[in-house]
Amino acid sequence: MSRHFRSRKALVIAVASTLALTFAGCSREGGGDGATGAAASPGITDTTVRLGISTPLSGSTAGPGTCTVAGVKAYFGAKNAAGGVAFGDGKTRTVEIEALDDGYDPQRAKANYDSLKDDVFAMTAGLGTPTNRAWREAAIADEVPQVLVMTGDPLFSDTQESPWQLGFVPIYQNEGEAFGKLLVASGAPHKVAILSQNDDYGAGYVEGFKSAVEGAANIEIVDELTYEATDTSVDAQITQLSASGADVIFNAMSLVPLVVSALQKAQQLNWLPSWFLPSNTSSPGAVVEPGGGAAFPGIYSVSFAKAPASPAFAGDEDVQTYLAALKEHGDYPDAPAFPHCQWSWMVGATLEQAFTTMTEPTRDDFMRALRSIENFEAPLMLPGTAVTTTESGQPAVPTVVVQKYNGKGYDTVESLG
Amino acid sequence: MATFIQLIVDGLSTGSVYAAIALALVLVHQATGLINFAQGGMAVLAAYSAWWLLSRGVPLVLAISASVLLSFAFGAVVERWLMRRFERGDPDTAVVVTIGLLTLITGVCGWLFTYNNQQFPSLFSLDAVTFLGVSVSQRSIGTTVVIVVVMLLLQALFAGTKLGLALRAVAINPQSAAFSGLPVERLLMVGWGLAAALGAIAGALVAPQLTLTPGMLDNALVYALAAVILGGLSSPIGVVVAAWMIGVLENLAAVYVPLIGYDLKVAVPFILIFVVLVVRPQGLFGRKTVVRV
Repeated sequence: MSRHFRSRKALVIAVASTLALTFAGCSREGGGDGATGAAASPGITDTTVRLGISTPLSGSTAGPGTCTVAGVKAYFGAKNAAGGVAFGDGKTRTVEIEALDDGYDPQRAKANYDSLKDDVFAMTAGLGTPTNRAWREAAIADEVPQVLVMTGDPLFSDTQESPWQLGFVPIYQNEGEAFGKLLVASGAPHKVAILSQNDDYGAGYVEGFKSAVEGAANIEIVDELTYEATDTSVDAQITQLSASGADVIFNAMSLVPLVVSALQKAQQLNWLPSWFLPSNTSSPGAVVEPGGGAAFPGIYSVSFAKAPASPAFAGDEDVQTYLAALKEHGDYPDAPAFPHCQWSWMVGATLEQAFTTMTEPTRDDFMRALRSIENFEAPLMLPGTAVTTTESGQPAVPTVVVQKYNGKGYDTVESLG
Repeated sequence: MATFIQLIVDGLSTGSVYAAIALALVLVHQATGLINFAQGGMAVLAAYSAWWLLSRGVPLVLAISASVLLSFAFGAVVERWLMRRFERGDPDTAVVVTIGLLTLITGVCGWLFTYNNQQFPSLFSLDAVTFLGVSVSQRSIGTTVVIVVVMLLLQALFAGTKLGLALRAVAINPQSAAFSGLPVERLLMVGWGLAAALGAIAGALVAPQLTLTPGMLDNALVYALAAVILGGLSSPIGVVVAAWMIGVLENLAAVYVPLIGYDLKVAVPFILIFVVLVVRPQGLFGRKTVVRV
């Protein structure tokens, strides 16, 4: 009896505190300022604009996830320190960022969105396909921008299906296709082995690759295997593929330790093909070096961002500004181990680009401004790539260049070899 | 044929990783009668402590030895100050506490050392040895040899020493063990300490391959549990053989049974468990538990 009473009491307290929080939230929103008029969307005042991020800050994807916050925080941290961002409506605002951890868990991502949506002007930069998908429909229903998110899923770049969304990074197909085109252009005959993750990610890469090599006389796909994202080893797959006699492996794999052990396993078997890796698992420091990538005739990947670790960009002004800001404003003291830090910095620059052409402080006008960027070379972008948001079906960065590992970083290449 | 043998060798070296954790599970179970779900987490924590020492310039062998000693102490402390409160009660509660401990340790590791993959140097070189057209890395051989040695030591501990006998007595019937003069509480601490120390060795063996992250052993733990059930909770040799079987059968099924392939190979150990449990509930090598009424 007393137990029953206690749980009732707990329930009452829980409900009361939820209500109290809700009211507190409302009053904060109402207490903004009336000067911008009734039309202003939530999360924006005459002096500030607030952005929300839901991304993995714990769990196995936390490394890249932490970067997605650090880059954009560093970008606007530096801008705020210099006075703020000049918006198209003539006002200068500082940019505040509120990032919540979703641990790559779709349910937590949705909960994060629910707690942020009335408080922020737009959601941005978050990493993860399942996590971003979890609240995509809610964002459309609430008319909250979910833009420049880090997912290669084409759904986010389809204006019809996703009117309040825009993906930032190239879709998986863009990456696979770029490598396929390079192989075809090499003219020489190649036998290709494919090892891909058994989900939309792996399938997207393979689809893009196959569309590029289809009908090419010099390319033959000799074996095609998959693995599960929960596997602890792909040794058996590498052993089987090594027997196929392939001289190129198209390896659409998203898990860092598995890529490292796949590179090592192939060397032990003395199978040394040219190796293709996706942009998110081709980090020189975290993947290729520990995997002993120098043993292969070539490790290829695709990119659109300058790699700060590469000697080619050591003196680059963009890179130096970026690294300094990352330390000072991004809570990220180490050298960035994942390209997501650079991508997130570009997200900051792209958002600023949209802010400067926004004429009203509304989410509607923000989406209009964001969707009218053409050939914007954001800082840290490689020559040959640019932000273009006007084409439906394509993410903000639709182009990538193929690069080859040079022992320290990557160089852009025009052909295989 | 070369591919077939290579697949078996690959399976054995993957199986050795599972076996390392499985041995620690058996040790705790033999000493306390519990399945410790936090075993993998404690091994990861040990690996992080070794990694931290390495980054302070301590040589690898010393760092691993220190982490083994630290883990012994940590295991004993966890038993004395945390598990002790639950040992007398419902065993289910104690098992849930170990799951909580796993979550806690994973979180603490992530908080202290970030979730980035850290490189952990190996005791053994990655260079391959080739014979009969099959290549095996020295690391795989080294890992397997260490596992076999540990397995034999454990077998000898439980079957041939007074300490082993006392540990078993405490696990099976703490009350009678206490009446016959055994220092039950200290033995429980020793049991947990030894298991944690063994986990530390396992962590140091597998960290170079899986790269050090807080969740490094989560998937391996599932396979280790399968090996423990399959091999029998009371038999170190049994769980190692079972872990190897799982590694090898998984690979062979994936390649040679088209229906299974790489997508369903994860199911192989569990189908195996199902079959074994129906035919031989105590596991392949386990002893039947007899309870007198």
